[in-house]
Amino acid sequence: MYRYDEFDHRFVQERVAEFRSQVTRRLDGSLNENEFKPLRLMNGLYLQLHAYMLRVAIPYGTLDSARMRMLAHIAEKWDRGYGHFTTRQNIQFNWPKLSDVPDILDALASVEMHAIQTSGNCIRNTTSDPYAGVAADEVEDPRITAELIRQWSSLHPEFTFLGRKFKIAVTGSAEDRTALKVHDIGIQIVRNTAGETGYRVLVGGGLGRTPMIAKELRAFLPREDLLPYLEAALRVYNLHGRRDNKYKARIKILVHEIGIEEYARQVEAEFAALDRDAIAAPVEEVARIAAYFAPPKLAARPAESTAFERARQVDPGFAAWASQNTFPHRVPGYVAATISLKPIGGAPGDATAEQMRAMADLAEKYSRDELRVTHEQNVVLPHVALDDLHSVYRGLAGVGLDAPNKGLVTDIVACPGLDYCALATARSIPVAQNIARRFGSTARQKEIGPLSIKISGCINACGHHHVGHIGILGLDKAGVESYQITLGGDATETAALGDRTGPGFGYDEVADVIEKLVDRYIELREVPQETFLQTYRRVGMEPFKEAIYATH
Amino acid sequence: MAKAFAPIVITANDLVEGDSVFLGPEGWTRDIRMARVARTAEEATALDASGAQGETQNLVVGPYRVEVSLETGAPVPVLRREQIRASGVPTIPVGPAAIEAAREAA
Ligand code: SF4
Repeated sequence: MYRYDEFDHRFVQERVAEFRSQVTRRLDGSLNENEFKPLRLMNGLYLQLHAYMLRVAIPYGTLDSARMRMLAHIAEKWDRGYGHFTTRQNIQFNWPKLSDVPDILDALASVEMHAIQTSGNCIRNTTSDPYAGVAADEVEDPRITAELIRQWSSLHPEFTFLGRKFKIAVTGSAEDRTALKVHDIGIQIVRNTAGETGYRVLVGGGLGRTPMIAKELRAFLPREDLLPYLEAALRVYNLHGRRDNKYKARIKILVHEIGIEEYARQVEAEFAALDRDAIAAPVEEVARIAAYFAPPKLAARPAESTAFERARQVDPGFAAWASQNTFPHRVPGYVAATISLKPIGGAPGDATAEQMRAMADLAEKYSRDELRVTHEQNVVLPHVALDDLHSVYRGLAGVGLDAPNKGLVTDIVACPGLDYCALATARSIPVAQNIARRFGSTARQKEIGPLSIKISGCINACGHHHVGHIGILGLDKAGVESYQITLGGDATETAALGDRTGPGFGYDEVADVIEKLVDRYIELREVPQETFLQTYRRVGMEPFKEAIYATH
Repeated sequence: MAKAFAPIVITANDLVEGDSVFLGPEGWTRDIRMARVARTAEEATALDASGAQGETQNLVVGPYRVEVSLETGAPVPVLRREQIRASGVPTIPVGPAAIEAAREAA
């Protein structure tokens, strides 16, 4: 878990005090909205369709029970009893009053959290693998690197006013669970042939209006060069960065326009000219951070658990959940358990205060006090003993968080869309709910197998629709919601952008269309193990197109 | 021939609460049915001015025009976005109410 040092503490407290005075001046009229807007955005406060919205940073998605309980407290005291976990591993509160926000920020600061850099053209929260410290294929815990980047990027004087927002993700595994290739910079911890640990650096990925898959900038970067190299990469971008057209100001456009070779050449030149030692993190600092993320001492347990086996026999709901929502832990006798925030008919990523407290209690009791938010809008309990898994499941079931659907057709990612978002062109949440209800049966979901549906309520793509196996983009066609479908997207190490099927569909048609696509996939697959994505890659668009447009 | 003027109301977000408000006969109201309707371009310009005043008086944020239909007598926004906004809440149950709804459905 990260810890604030004295600088962090002082800085966050000063920032809250400063914002409190800005809010007071806004309320008494000494600041008008034009003056106030950039100030509130610097503190994560947006004005949405129905209310203000406060986005709180969850560094690389890691929380402990005290922090989760504080989020529950905020939801209850100053909001409407719930919050929304986002695809960037953050949380959003949808209904705060402007006059309450300084108190909310004070409450967050008391547990070392804040809302800084969750908005605006700066380096945003660095995201990471929810199975950090758990996955067997991990070279190193990516949170150490993510924390280094957090410290380096927090209020970096040169990069606080970039051309556009800038998103970095870090993974320590070859199997990518961070959507690395759709980030401005993606960092993969790797080992070279000499056995040294370093970084593979990708650049220029992103979704939104002009989606792009990141390209490799460096195959291997020695670990001590990380921060100087990032500094060089950001500086080259910042110098070129267009300020005239915000749609062209992302690094992906620069890399696309000048080419990865030219961009790399300029970065290497800048890097060579930098005073690396002045920028690189001191060895002691890296060691201090690494100590925070030292793996918990998990007592060795037998790989098989009789308690677990017995519970599986007697409780079929548990058996289904355990087989779908767990991930192998590197320590025998443990698993990482995914708490699906996608109950059938619920709003993807939403959790009530009661549910947050339940998750916090379970984390404290059964998962070394740790929770992780995933970019798929779920929450992971990373260190659960098999012996305790049934108790965890029962605790979750008690608050409606026992959906056994991780990675299945009803584990739908959806942005807030037109139910909340001022930029939206169509609704996302009810579309997700209609689809989830259609495929509500656990047996049917299992039969379909891995299938990721992602929905965005506008071209900004917060719902990552381009990289959903099935992507859904809600648009506005002359005042009516219309949904464009894409197929074949992939957010993992084999990343791909989905292909458009053709003309869009009306709000009421979407669930039918998805069902037709799924039915066609079941007909087409050669063996039940062939996933939707594999089938799509094998047969291409035509048969799917035929399924949804032939009678349309 | 000039296009017929489509009736409008003025909306904004309340400064403190952030929710949608509409310019009514006596200040800002949360009920669009109580909003003043401009039926001509001149009336709309006059409403714009009152809306802007709400901003300078520090009551609301970002006033703008919303096209409405008067078919049922009371103003109803034409666009889906504005219909949702005027309703003041998402189109689906949210938060604890959503959990309740999901439980009942199960
Ligand atoms: S994708 Fe569009 S509608 Fe959805 S949250 Fe982002 S900006 Fe809002």
